[in-house]
Amino acid sequence: MNAKKAATLALGILTSVGGFFDVGNIATSAQAGAVFRYQLLWALLLGTFLVIFLVEMSGRFAAVTRQAMPDAIRTHFGFTFWLVPFIVLTLVHFLVLGAEIGGICFALHLVSGLPVQLWALPVAVLLWLFLWRSTFGAIENSSSLLGLITLAFVWAAWRHHGPAGQILAGMLPSLPHQDPSRYWFMAVSLLGAVISPYLFYFYSSGAVEDKWDDSYIAVNRGVSVIGMGFGSLISLGAIVVAAVVLAPRGIQVDDYHQAALMLTQAFPFWGFVLFAVSMGIACVGAAVEVSLSMAYTTAQTFGWNWGENLDPREDARFSLTYTIAILAAALLILFGVDPLKLTLLSMAVNAAVLPFVAIPFLLLMNDRKALGKHANGWISNTVTVVMLILALVLAVVSIPLMIVGGG
Amino acid sequence: MKALKDLVDDDLELARDVLDKQVVDCEETKMGRVDGLLLELRDGKPPRVHSIEMGGVVLARRVHPGLERVVEWLRRRLNVRQTAVYSVPWSEVEELNSYHVKLNAAALDTPAFDWERWLRDHVIAHIPAAAKGGADSE
Repeated sequence: MNAKKAATLALGILTSVGGFFDVGNIATSAQAGAVFRYQLLWALLLGTFLVIFLVEMSGRFAAVTRQAMPDAIRTHFGFTFWLVPFIVLTLVHFLVLGAEIGGICFALHLVSGLPVQLWALPVAVLLWLFLWRSTFGAIENSSSLLGLITLAFVWAAWRHHGPAGQILAGMLPSLPHQDPSRYWFMAVSLLGAVISPYLFYFYSSGAVEDKWDDSYIAVNRGVSVIGMGFGSLISLGAIVVAAVVLAPRGIQVDDYHQAALMLTQAFPFWGFVLFAVSMGIACVGAAVEVSLSMAYTTAQTFGWNWGENLDPREDARFSLTYTIAILAAALLILFGVDPLKLTLLSMAVNAAVLPFVAIPFLLLMNDRKALGKHANGWISNTVTVVMLILALVLAVVSIPLMIVGGG
Repeated sequence: MKALKDLVDDDLELARDVLDKQVVDCEETKMGRVDGLLLELRDGKPPRVHSIEMGGVVLARRVHPGLERVVEWLRRRLNVRQTAVYSVPWSEVEELNSYHVKLNAAALDTPAFDWERWLRDHVIAHIPAAAKGGADSE
């Protein structure tokens, strides 16, 4: 493997830090661990397997066809087919972007003591400036390097010596001992936090930005496993830490302030700051990814010139799309929408819109005219379909249950 | 006019292989998509592709006639895009492959770039931080 291909690991880790481990994972992992301890680890594991398969597919598709996902969906299924999913996904991405910006503002609030809302506009301007001035390579490298700090969760879990037997038992699905509607809803939120639709659009557009070709197929496989595995490991760490630190004290995490206590037991002096920095960086990575993903999707839908390596003068419409998205999403926080509520809402919606993303995607992956011998085999198809059905049944059953239950 | 078989080696399905495909100019700048196709009916001969159509109005027409009227009204109101439908004769198609349709044209001089040009001159030009650090590093 040459240096350039080894460096593509950066794309995997960036995708993972932003797309996998983000504000949604912090919130849902903290809640799941605090309320059900290790019992929901299976949902994280299910999500991880599904996401590895889907990320591998979107990378393989981009490498073989030189097309990113939204581009290919419009080409193959036509504008009228794509219009509704495009609008729905844009709205979902807008909520997710608001949640990520809220996460950054909250991290800054933890460190500075200044109100969350006050940070909304400065954060939006800095995020925008970063995208406006940086090339794709620079974004990849800086985010994946900084993202390593989120390993603090794994380190803390290690220092706590969580009960290995219970952790392993939690990896197998089991019926809840109490509060079933909350249990299943939380399982769905965990899944939604792991499988965010923007992740696939971002990763495949990133592969096109990095000019992948057929020779990247093996690298792509490694990148999806290692990158997504990295994100999963961190979420696992967060659940274990929440189970050890928060659960015995009866802290249920209905506020990010409670989640911020997670690392203080393993790192008495630095825990608070470590949490804020990890949360801030993970959310910056995710906000960059969601806003770029929105710009990629819109530009590809209408055929505009796009690319994070181009000067904004060369792709004015692409650059202005992420500019508007960031500013509009920051307004949600500025006007006082609660970041945690926004996060939980957007994660559940993520899981519910999964069919919009996954069905056209699976059809494309089986198109032998486009992919030739690199089309999906039966293993990928079976695994994806079975896991998708599981995720969907969970979403369809538990979201209404939670609403009826008034939670 | 180029024969279709000079461009592709297999059967060409218009809806599958041409409609909605990415359109690029002679320098491979992405300039839009094949929003519509116009066929020419000829006496005693099979119909043939006359031109490729690009424009929001064409897209809106595919969804609903009402939407077409709204988009056309908006276009006149905003007055940035001068030509509603940018129509390119099939003879201007230089290359057709699995991922794009390449035209013998310069994107900047076409109606497809009206908005791109307008936004660059009226918005991007006024944003102070408009230069990328090390363009195209990887």
